[in-house]
Amino acid sequence: MLNLKREFRQIYGPAVRLAVISVVLCGLVFPLVITGIAQVFLPSQANGSLVQLHGRNVGSSLIAQNFSLPIFFHPRNDSASGVDPDITVQDARSQIPRISSATSISSDMLKQIVNQNEEGTFWIFGNPYVNVLRINLALIQTNSSAYRAFQ
Amino acid sequence: MDWKEYFLAALIVNIFQMALAFVIFAFQGVLPLNPQGFPGLSWDLAFMQVISFGTNTNLQHYNGEGNCVQLPNCAALTPGVPGLSYLSQMMAVQFLQFTSAATGICAAVAMIRGFVAHSKDLGNFYVDFTRSLTRILFPLCFVASLVFVGLGVPQTLTGYQVFFTVESAATRATQTILVGPVASLVSIMQLGTNGGGYYGANSAYPFQNPNPASDIFQIFLMLLIPTTLCFVFGQLIGKKRETRPILWGAYALFALDLLIAFTPNFPVVGPGMEVRFGGFFSVFWTVVTTAVTTGSVNASLSGLNPFVILSAFNGMLIQATPGGKGVGVMYMVMFIILTVFIVGLMSGRTPEYLGLKITARDVKLVMIAFLVHPVIVLVPTVLAYSTGATSAIGVGPNSIGFTKIFYEFTSAAANNGSDFLGASANTPFFNISTAIVMFLGRFAPIGLLLSLGGSMINRKRLTTEAGVRTDSPLFALILVGSILVLALLTFFPFLALGPILEFFQGRMNGF
Repeated sequence: MLNLKREFRQIYGPAVRLAVISVVLCGLVFPLVITGIAQVFLPSQANGSLVQLHGRNVGSSLIAQNFSLPIFFHPRNDSASGVDPDITVQDARSQIPRISSATSISSDMLKQIVNQNEEGTFWIFGNPYVNVLRINLALIQTNSSAYRAFQ
Repeated sequence: MDWKEYFLAALIVNIFQMALAFVIFAFQGVLPLNPQGFPGLSWDLAFMQVISFGTNTNLQHYNGEGNCVQLPNCAALTPGVPGLSYLSQMMAVQFLQFTSAATGICAAVAMIRGFVAHSKDLGNFYVDFTRSLTRILFPLCFVASLVFVGLGVPQTLTGYQVFFTVESAATRATQTILVGPVASLVSIMQLGTNGGGYYGANSAYPFQNPNPASDIFQIFLMLLIPTTLCFVFGQLIGKKRETRPILWGAYALFALDLLIAFTPNFPVVGPGMEVRFGGFFSVFWTVVTTAVTTGSVNASLSGLNPFVILSAFNGMLIQATPGGKGVGVMYMVMFIILTVFIVGLMSGRTPEYLGLKITARDVKLVMIAFLVHPVIVLVPTVLAYSTGATSAIGVGPNSIGFTKIFYEFTSAAANNGSDFLGASANTPFFNISTAIVMFLGRFAPIGLLLSLGGSMINRKRLTTEAGVRTDSPLFALILVGSILVLALLTFFPFLALGPILEFFQGRMNGF
């Protein structure tokens, strides 16, 4: 018992010092250095991959935005994160008739826009997908008359 | 240091570190770097969370970002759901993720030193700890963090960004973008097999895992150190061939996990999965994260086939496939000694490993280390049902509910950290019970196995190779067989009541 007490006293001092040094290094210095480098060299990604329309921030390309009007592509709302920014290409194609009748843009034109915005996953694993915010911004920019209210 | 000094130093340093993090969690409301104005965590939640991060478990009964997780257009945060300030994410979460990872590496290296011929002691904990941080974790995390920022993971200290949305001309809607110091956390949470995410949805949340490239990079980081430590074992003891049973055994079991997970069907994107990863990477991730007891997720566990969950249980019940960094190797050595003993009994040879005679005390130590796990998983699972703690959070007495509770304690005991319950388990019962389970699941086996390593020092080495050769494929096969028999027989009745029953019920209902 006496032995254990002496051991504890020997360990106590270095243990406190190590705990304090490690909290400063791991918890403050490391994340602040990374933040500094990221803000200088990769500011767009470091601040959330924000997307602009006519110079104004309208969202992030990585986070789903809620679209409810029939003239836009809609995100899914059952995914794990709740903010899945992508839909499958099949999902996007299934929304074409609705958008076409609401905006009078031809189906062929919309199909072409979907194809242009297609992104792939790794070869056989998974299906190609479409980023909802980016494709909706593409709609606004290529069809200024149908989306006049949102210019 | 002998094993007692080494273990005591590790334990006391860890306890001081957890105490510092507790202060940050409990007082984050009045500390700086809290642009969202989150109040301090309740004492039972703060207690549970520091043990969770300090033991490399990373079970989380809160949402890091507050309550915005399920709401694409969250404009304001409603009070009540615990969230973390930037300071807490850095000085409590990331801090303990670094230190618990370093402690795991130290424990493994110290135990291995006991098996090295002519070693005098297990080494010095303070030296090992400092070197693990400065020579392994900091350099690797530095590179990994910047790769993650490049792939789209945020790293900023400014508050959440609020914008008028694209449709706002018609709807006046706004959207809140939940940024923060994410990349520096993701690097250590994966590399250190911690698994506690910045966001409640963990690596399903796009800011934590933006694309297939970041997904594969995170899987790589998870496997890196546990796999490397298999080679460190052979390197340190000076017999590289002895890496074989550890590595082959671990990866044979890992392959078996994959086989179970992909047996029912080739997964396609379903509810609870993220489109950018698809079905394959959602399932593959779940197998990896439990095989190395990281515990991060990139899909909702509820959306996965019960067989995938069964495979996840397999990884967490064995803990050596290849297991968490540090402790995975320790568990594999534990299984090797058990197997050597069993084979010795069957063939009538003296049980020996690396030329060391295995004594009755060694076998007792490894048996106790093995039995800790079932006791701290099964007892609280039964307690949770018998005390009514499960019905208090709306979990029913059926196969789906049982799977969730059994998973919670398995994950806590294996220091894994993935879970079904999440913030819904923020009740005093679950906070305190999981804290006890995590603490015992971490430090009891480490103490026992350090004691085993310590007792090997100065032990006479047999020069004749009278024992069973442990570097042959045959031994790896016997090892895998005995691990499966030991682990699965212990837990089979519980698995049968949970995911296996759920699978067959699903079949009957035409699922």
